[in-house]
Amino acid sequence: MSSLLSQAVSRRSVLIGGAALLGTAGLSACSPGNAGSAGGSKTLNVAYFGTQQQADKTAKVADAFIKANPGVTVKFNGINGTDWNDFFTKVLTQIAAGNPPDIVSVATEGVQLFAQKKLAHPLDDFIKRDKDQLAPYFKDVHPALVEAMMYQGNLYELPTDFNAGNMYFNTSLLKKSGLEVPQADWTMDDFKSVAAAIKKNPDTVPFDWVVRLWGSWTSSMYANGGNLVTEGKYDGGDWLWSQFYSGDPAAQGRKGGWKWGAPTANSDAVVESLDLMVELANSGLSAKPDVGGGSTLQGLFSNNKIGMAIGGGFWAGGLHNAGMGPDAFDVQYFPKWKVQRHLFGTGGYGIFESSKNKDLAWEFLKSLVEPSAIDILTAGNSTTPSRRSMMTADRYAPTGPKNWKVFYHTLDKLPNTAPIPAPPYYNAMANALNQRTTEAMSSGRAKSALDGLQKDLETAAASIGS
Amino acid sequence: MSVSALRTESPGAASPRGPQASSRRRNANRAHRREAAFGWLMISLSALTILVFTAAPIVFTFVLSFFSWDIISPPEFVGLQNFVHLSSDTAVIHSFGVTALLAVLIVVLQIVIGLAMAILVQQRVSTWARSIFRTAFFLPLLVSAASISIVFSYLFDDHFGVINYYLQVLGLPQMQWLSSPGGATATIVIVAVWQQLGFVFILFVAALGSLPKDVLEAVSIDGSGPIRTFFSIKLPLISPTIFFASVIGLINAMQIFDQPYVMTKGGPGDATTTTVMLIYRTAFQNIQFGYGSAISVVLFVVLLAITGLQFYISRKWVFYS
Repeated sequence: MSSLLSQAVSRRSVLIGGAALLGTAGLSACSPGNAGSAGGSKTLNVAYFGTQQQADKTAKVADAFIKANPGVTVKFNGINGTDWNDFFTKVLTQIAAGNPPDIVSVATEGVQLFAQKKLAHPLDDFIKRDKDQLAPYFKDVHPALVEAMMYQGNLYELPTDFNAGNMYFNTSLLKKSGLEVPQADWTMDDFKSVAAAIKKNPDTVPFDWVVRLWGSWTSSMYANGGNLVTEGKYDGGDWLWSQFYSGDPAAQGRKGGWKWGAPTANSDAVVESLDLMVELANSGLSAKPDVGGGSTLQGLFSNNKIGMAIGGGFWAGGLHNAGMGPDAFDVQYFPKWKVQRHLFGTGGYGIFESSKNKDLAWEFLKSLVEPSAIDILTAGNSTTPSRRSMMTADRYAPTGPKNWKVFYHTLDKLPNTAPIPAPPYYNAMANALNQRTTEAMSSGRAKSALDGLQKDLETAAASIGS
Repeated sequence: MSVSALRTESPGAASPRGPQASSRRRNANRAHRREAAFGWLMISLSALTILVFTAAPIVFTFVLSFFSWDIISPPEFVGLQNFVHLSSDTAVIHSFGVTALLAVLIVVLQIVIGLAMAILVQQRVSTWARSIFRTAFFLPLLVSAASISIVFSYLFDDHFGVINYYLQVLGLPQMQWLSSPGGATATIVIVAVWQQLGFVFILFVAALGSLPKDVLEAVSIDGSGPIRTFFSIKLPLISPTIFFASVIGLINAMQIFDQPYVMTKGGPGDATTTTVMLIYRTAFQNIQFGYGSAISVVLFVVLLAITGLQFYISRKWVFYS
């Protein structure tokens, strides 16, 4: 035993040690946690959706910005969660704790929530000021993505990436079933035929999906011309469309952001869509889905247990990481039902209203939409770049799929493609949707479950006063 | 020392009013105060932790239950509105029903199976094997409920799970473990019982091991059979342990969250949405912290009432010797 350990500890030394410990703890507690400003330096805190490990990797995106702005540091704080819903909850808790970030990564799911609560700062004035600098960016980005980031006429984020709900195919299961990847104009009847053929393979599920708002049975709902809420547009945004999208047919009819109105969750088209999923499950063409983020689904898909699944560009990276080769899977549009309308979600970064470094944050946001930055943000095809020019064969050569053009063509060639419904009460909507979907799948009664969902949404909409 | 000397010294030494005694008393008091101060210092960190992380949140939750608060906007005082609302909120009432059903099933099965296993191990197994069993049964308790729930959700998966695979191999019908209300409830009960059985098992092994041997010998001499001995002698003697296990088990089970959250997300529908899940969903997902707090307060009161009732009823069946 060392002499130090063998010495009897006196009461005084314990007291002194304890006092020192408490003093240190007190000092630690008083130290500023979020904004180092000593010596004129500035720190931008970014709330990032992901693990700290992923956040640290993504932080590379700030290297060029930091180099160009001596004395500035950018801190990416990883906030992990099962889905965007979970992420928002944690960000809101961080805000409640009096530690709001300067910048937050927000997807379509949260744009209106943050904007309606005046948490996010509109970018309009910044954009108008730096219009020349941003012209190449907007020229390269589909207006549907931009419009999805607007609320009541203001733009809150510059999209960096997006994902539309396309259909993925396990090519080896297709081959075993004597099939090929369907044509772009395939229909819901074709889909059922493909599923029936795949079903003949033992120990496989022809089609699987996850209970959630994005890319769930909601994809069928869009293809059937339905939605959970009435669709409308806020006025405004003309300055943006005339400035950056003048003459672009894809910008026609664009306004000041999507206005999600009265709930229509038990309308005929929506009920029919969920009924289809019940029918598929009952006939063995589909599994009864889990609630969640979809990583389990990717694991099963990569192990040749699933023939088809709804996925976006991010599935390419996910399946590659799960061990699938570039030719082991492929992608096509979601099948046409009444229409071939797709849903999508888009991601980007917004500035917090409470940020004391808004100008600096804006400079950083601009740097994030540079191709080199988006390249880092979408590394490994973990998601789809918002810039059309970045969609290249080289990008998808290591991961697949062969038919990668489908990702951006979903926006370019299917003009009725729209964002997921994400009103300011998105969290309540997502929870209610999950609950009512599992209820329908279990009971087999879609109408009854959707009547419940309708009531849930009406309550949620009323509670937020939107 | 001479007698005279003793006589000279004794009045002062014995007298409580003497100056020396007074000084000694002061010293003793000072030492006692120092001792007490040191004691307080030693428990201060624990006390502070409990104050900050347990007591303060409880008080805050109680206060918040009278407010409407979405984190972002300032809290708004709404009086008893939250409580009035929840009294007619079918989701809250349903969640209490789900929780009560799960709690009763879990506690009853834990006690019955735990006791049965403890009896088997106590009677049929050698001492060293008993240690192995004790350790083996206790191990699941050391693993987080979330991790166990993830593993079991794979095992019980309707389409790809091992359980259904073997049911199929055996020619039995496959079960909708997680996608039917009954299956999901059963799965949660199975997982919760499996994980926490070790605790009850250890309690019963200890209780059975400490039964007075003279009583058991006397019963044996009187010719009582094993079943009669168990129901008439052993069971009453271990009734305090059963009572303890039921109180602790029920308090735990009424707060069940991890298993349904991970395995079923409260579904299908709201078939496995427990009260704590609803509190989490209301407060942290729907961002209604006031209403969530009100449900928490009601859960607290319900737990308090159930525990009080258990103590009241225990007077009639728990035998303390």
